[in-house]
Amino acid sequence: MIRTERKYIELLRILREHRDPMGAKRLSELMAERGFVLSDRAVQYYLSYLDTMGFTEKIGNQGRILTPAGMAETDNALVDDRIGFVISKLERLAYRSTFDPVTSTGDVAYNLSFVPEEDFEKAKTVFDDVVRMGCGFFNSYKIIDRDPRIPSGYTGFITVCSITMDGVFQRNGIPVKMAYGGRLEIRNGNPLQFRDLIGYRGTTIDPLELFISSGLTSISNYTRTRNGIALANVREVPESAQQQVEETIRLMNACGFVYPVSMGSQIFNLPPNPYRLSIVAFSGLNYIGNCVEHGIEVKTEIGAGNIPFAKVLE
Amino acid sequence: MALPLKFFNHVIEDYAMRVTFDPSAGEGTIVFNLSLVKNEDLEYAISILKDAFRSGVSVSGLVRFIPSGVKLDDFVIPAGCTGICTMCSITFDSLLIRRGIPINPIGGGIVEIEDRAPVRFTHMILYEHTTVDPLEVLMSQKTTSVMRVMRKGSGNILANIREFHMEAEPLVEMVLDELTSSSYSGILEVGMPNTPLLGVPVSPQYISIAAIGGTNPMAAIRESGRFVQARAMKGLMDIREMVDIRTF
Repeated sequence: MIRTERKYIELLRILREHRDPMGAKRLSELMAERGFVLSDRAVQYYLSYLDTMGFTEKIGNQGRILTPAGMAETDNALVDDRIGFVISKLERLAYRSTFDPVTSTGDVAYNLSFVPEEDFEKAKTVFDDVVRMGCGFFNSYKIIDRDPRIPSGYTGFITVCSITMDGVFQRNGIPVKMAYGGRLEIRNGNPLQFRDLIGYRGTTIDPLELFISSGLTSISNYTRTRNGIALANVREVPESAQQQVEETIRLMNACGFVYPVSMGSQIFNLPPNPYRLSIVAFSGLNYIGNCVEHGIEVKTEIGAGNIPFAKVLE
Repeated sequence: MALPLKFFNHVIEDYAMRVTFDPSAGEGTIVFNLSLVKNEDLEYAISILKDAFRSGVSVSGLVRFIPSGVKLDDFVIPAGCTGICTMCSITFDSLLIRRGIPINPIGGGIVEIEDRAPVRFTHMILYEHTTVDPLEVLMSQKTTSVMRVMRKGSGNILANIREFHMEAEPLVEMVLDELTSSSYSGILEVGMPNTPLLGVPVSPQYISIAAIGGTNPMAAIRESGRFVQARAMKGLMDIREMVDIRTF
């Protein structure tokens, strides 16, 4: 029974990742890629069950699409599985971040946000504040209005997701683990200590998203008075990688990436972790948190995908 | 150098060291949550607390109201606000620990309720991965529908889960028996050995117990669009300082 649930949720997840209707044959191929070997017939059987549940819908003979109920089901089912999902989604983005800081080419990971058109000017000021304070991971952002994911009447913002850094480290042979999302207290422009941490491997909702919607940030205060609480991530690398890490950071800084806040084996009030080097970096979500604090109705997809670095700079 | 942050599983154990709650005698200290509502919303808050207790989505019917300006431990209730102390669900974990039951507090999350029966956890934050109370941050995710559960019997509420070694089952049963006649009424579901409970896996040879989160009534008040600051602080209180909500 549990095994069955796992399969039908995977079908829903595949449909969720694809905009167009999909037939049983293609679905069974994609299922096999993910380790679920099923005959077309078995897929048909699961699909008719999903139709009855109202999770999928048949579009003529082109195949099936996800219904809003099906979308909600992928957000609610298999809670244990989804605890690992937050991080594995980010790891996929890291792996696909092919950015090379030597040549400034390749893809970076990004977050996609959109705000109502009437709030656009206000949002832009709020974004610029974050750039000015250097707490947005990357020193610029991109405005887009033509994208199928942005509803009409809204303007989109592309911000660079800090998971890009993990991709760059990995490609340089440095093993890196995203450990925590946290809220970092800053006094007179100096980072003082973490107020809270949530581990990426222990939650079904992105830690930084939790802090933003709970009103536990004061990024706007920080941009105004240099005192406040901003969002930061903690990553861990082996201590023996320090030199390589420092070199990589130097190269990335030259390309416009603004980090780290701090780096060391025992920094701030982080839990001790022997032989590991913690890298603390501000998150690109400070742009979004600052919007929320200003009452701007912003919607964000964290880790929306990867795009060429040159496109962000356009 | 600042002291390292404390993760929530250890926070629970620290509270447990100071809890003396004896359910059969109705005595001792319990862990409370302090929430803040606006003074003008107090009447509404009382009606919701009553409804929540009646419909079984609160941990206990015991409350204590603290007026503005009054100090509780180190916390002064701000002007314009009333403090509401309600029993925190980690009182239950504390009680199990104090009785010598080997438990692992697992985490806090959202439980889907259908026709008054729990179906599954739909969100979860594991205690050993967080320094903030999971239910404090989950409350503001717009994922709860406590009011709907109170009115119609279906929706999403805040809940948490812990597991105990199955060797201690007789002792746990004794504690659960004592609780049925006490002011604590937060047990949601008890699992089977080696069997996941509401979708959350259990350690080998362990049994899980899901319980209702302490701030469900506050979540219900927030759902109605009113201001609530839930879990402004936690502390310990003698249970005799609290009163039954039904007397209001």
